[in-house]
Amino acid sequence: MNNRFSRLFNLTEAQAIEILDAPAADSDEASGRYIAASHLVNFDTEAVIAALVRAVQKADDDLDNRIVRRKAVESLGRLKVKAALPIIASCLMDEDSYLVENAAWAIGEIGQAISLVDPAILEKLAQQLDRPGQSYRTIIHSLAALGYEPAADRIAKFTASDQAPIASAALSAMYRLKGDDKAIPQVIQFLQSLDVNARRGSIQDLIDANYYRAIPHIAQCPVSSVFRLRGIRLLAKAGMDEGKLTFAQVQPLLEKVICDHPNDVALIHHYDQPLAVKTLVQDLYGTDFGRCYLASKTLIDDLPDQAPAAMLESYESEGYNDYGAHYHLMRLFGWLKVTAAYDLLIGALNNKAPQFQKSRMAAAIALGELGEKRAITELRSALSVPIWSLQYAAILALSKLGEANIVSYLTTEPSDWLVQEKLKTL
Amino acid sequence: MLDASAKAFVTANTQTATVGDGKANAAACFYGSADSQTVQDGLQRAAARLEAAEKLNAGIDKVAQEAYDAAFKKYPYLKNDAKNGVKNNGEAGGSPAKQDKCLRDIKHYLRLINYSLVVGGTSPLDEWGIAGVREVYRSLNLPTAPYVAAMQYTRDRAYAPSDMSPQALAEFRALLDYVIDSLS
Repeated sequence: MNNRFSRLFNLTEAQAIEILDAPAADSDEASGRYIAASHLVNFDTEAVIAALVRAVQKADDDLDNRIVRRKAVESLGRLKVKAALPIIASCLMDEDSYLVENAAWAIGEIGQAISLVDPAILEKLAQQLDRPGQSYRTIIHSLAALGYEPAADRIAKFTASDQAPIASAALSAMYRLKGDDKAIPQVIQFLQSLDVNARRGSIQDLIDANYYRAIPHIAQCPVSSVFRLRGIRLLAKAGMDEGKLTFAQVQPLLEKVICDHPNDVALIHHYDQPLAVKTLVQDLYGTDFGRCYLASKTLIDDLPDQAPAAMLESYESEGYNDYGAHYHLMRLFGWLKVTAAYDLLIGALNNKAPQFQKSRMAAAIALGELGEKRAITELRSALSVPIWSLQYAAILALSKLGEANIVSYLTTEPSDWLVQEKLKTL
Repeated sequence: MLDASAKAFVTANTQTATVGDGKANAAACFYGSADSQTVQDGLQRAAARLEAAEKLNAGIDKVAQEAYDAAFKKYPYLKNDAKNGVKNNGEAGGSPAKQDKCLRDIKHYLRLINYSLVVGGTSPLDEWGIAGVREVYRSLNLPTAPYVAAMQYTRDRAYAPSDMSPQALAEFRALLDYVIDSLS
């Protein structure tokens, strides 16, 4: 399994199965079985599948066992085990709504892999829409993904849900199941919702609807660039595969998101009074990136002289270790031309810890903004790192630094299709 | 074809939200959210929750650090320091994750538990820590096990300060269970 976290735990397949099979009380920690159920997704063998099924069937009602069952169902979904569909479907009627959610998700995953699911299972899934307190968004996603049109009427009532993420999923599903064109503008509206989950959810729902026309809206949605890039990438591929879209149309939007200047984000928050520089820098630590972009913009527009010192101080005290703020600080070092941060940016460009991955992209862009030629060697090395967004950002930064023959720096042909498209334009 | 003008298409954004002090804004949100449990709780439970909140708040860094140390001591994480990122081994794409991400997130959840203890309901956790998170973890294929393990450790072994009453501890543990339940 190609997962950057796949070696998170130091367990062999046999060890993980043994832990998962052990009576809960015998696990040396309550978390052991949960970790095992999670870790086994890395081993697609018959023994693992059998162990995961055994875990699903272990019906003790205590919390520590319930969470193991949920994770085992999720792992079976990730492994796309067709033979497990009946046992997963049997979880749909469980009292544990999170188990129902994971079962609904797993049925969607497996169903899309095999293209045909027993209609009785789909109907059972649809019936969960009538049960109170369920994860309707996930259930709707799976029903729409599997094209279960008989559920459309039941899904339709959720389009008016007062919970925006559920309404968004339902609207997207109506577009997919019934071709309801009027539903999509409503999904797009949620990209500007005050509810960050609605914004993120809306991107997913537009991806699911294959609605590549929404790329310009997604590009400026005030959420992390990770979500936007994922949406743009998937939708661009879909549109280009259908011959309805060209790279030239997508390119400027894509590059704006990679550069990620707050002026290119449609902000939905505003300050009602001027704030001190420290308060604004502290806002970069928020979990709603919409607010972080507002703080970034305010620092750039209103406090460009005071901001650099406050940012450097914040980086030293806690920003170096906060993967959210770290990203915003790296970007701002570039936009505010903070030459004193040069070494920090080089460190960030080469930081291989997964949670700082998007900071590498930000650091590349910032190094380009600093305009210092000494960064060229490091940026050239970044072209070889197998992270498409970093490669792309390094190309943009090298161009910004006046490098003309970037293709000659490549030691191997980039495997990523978006990077390949970009190289064709140089 | 792409939509020509994204802003023209989006009409909902005619009114932006005011952000003053982030914390005050968030707190206003929390207090404003109805939670029937709040109404039903007796004064005794409220006192226990406030006691737990006060003591958790005083020791939150230590609690988070203990949970994080315990949850990871038996797993072979790279012991990197983000400040010296250039020295790290491995490349994203096949490398072990870095535990500091967890420390940040564990603290985040503990702070939300703290808010929840203060307001006497789960609204802070629901709105800021849990809503949408399951989907994000699933769609980006992010691991939940480290967080769940850390919370289970905190619940079962780590944090039982001698000066926290059994009632306060029960309130704290109930919310830890709530997080475990919601993330798993």
